Amino acid sequence: MKDKLYRTFVDATRNVFNLMLNISDISDHPAENLKCDDGIDIAVGIVGDLQGEVVYRFPVSTSLNMVNIMSGMQFEEVDAFVTSAISEIANIISGNVLTALSDNNMKCDILPPVQGNPDDNKEYEMKTSCCLSTSIGEIGLEIRLNLVS
Amino acid sequence: MLWKDNYKLGVPLIDAQHQELFRRVQSFLQVLRSKDSWDEKIPMINETLEFMKRYVVEHFQAEEDYQRSINYPGYEAHKQIHDDMVNYVQEVSKKYEQSQNDEQLMQQFGGRLLAWLINHVCAEDQRIADYAKEKGMSGNEG
Repeated sequence: MKDKLYRTFVDATRNVFNLMLNISDISDHPAENLKCDDGIDIAVGIVGDLQGEVVYRFPVSTSLNMVNIMSGMQFEEVDAFVTSAISEIANIISGNVLTALSDNNMKCDILPPVQGNPDDNKEYEMKTSCCLSTSIGEIGLEIRLNLVS
Repeated sequence: MLWKDNYKLGVPLIDAQHQELFRRVQSFLQVLRSKDSWDEKIPMINETLEFMKRYVVEHFQAEEDYQRSINYPGYEAHKQIHDDMVNYVQEVSKKYEQSQNDEQLMQQFGGRLLAWLINHVCAEDQRIADYAKEKGMSGNEG
């Protein structure tokens, strides 16, 4: 189950990057935890058959590259505009994951994205992290979910 | 340029509407991100925001008319996505007015609108185009 979730999140991220940013060359590898000092963390809560959250970590350079591609403009620092655009992308990826899960009869919903990493030291049945490498930088994903019976 | 040719869906009517919508949003973003002070930008922001808000609604209606004309089976779900976005735009607009032109609020709106719009065109609208092409109703058949 954990591996399947991991793959679903990675595939959704890959699809969204391909569609929205025209970036197709993406590789992934498991990471023990998200390591990046200057990243923007966006947490998306999940409720329903699965309960918990996924945290997306976008390093500053990756974030700026993403917004530069989308807007065709030059952004040089992370501000409210960039954070909001990145949050929406986290929201879109999570929405795509839910669609994939619902195809497997898992009913979940997502909460609006919030900036930050609410690490509350809770125990999770499924906890996994990975790092995705793309031509515009890396992205970290931390999945922390419990299966609600 | 906000518009990119890879956003084309292959249905001339929808592609023309999208290019116009992207032009309106780009005008708004250019004002929003210009180097002038916020106070200097406010009149232009308010003007382009109003203009863009009206156009978003007009565009959604035109797209929905097209979906009905080809009996698109995903019409109701797609309309719901449009309605949710229109509600969000109205809600932000109201908050912006109440806050007396808060810059952070408008920057947040701009960022979300940008990402939402690109995903909507590339993912949701692609389904309409795929259906139209499958049914031979894309306008490319002649």
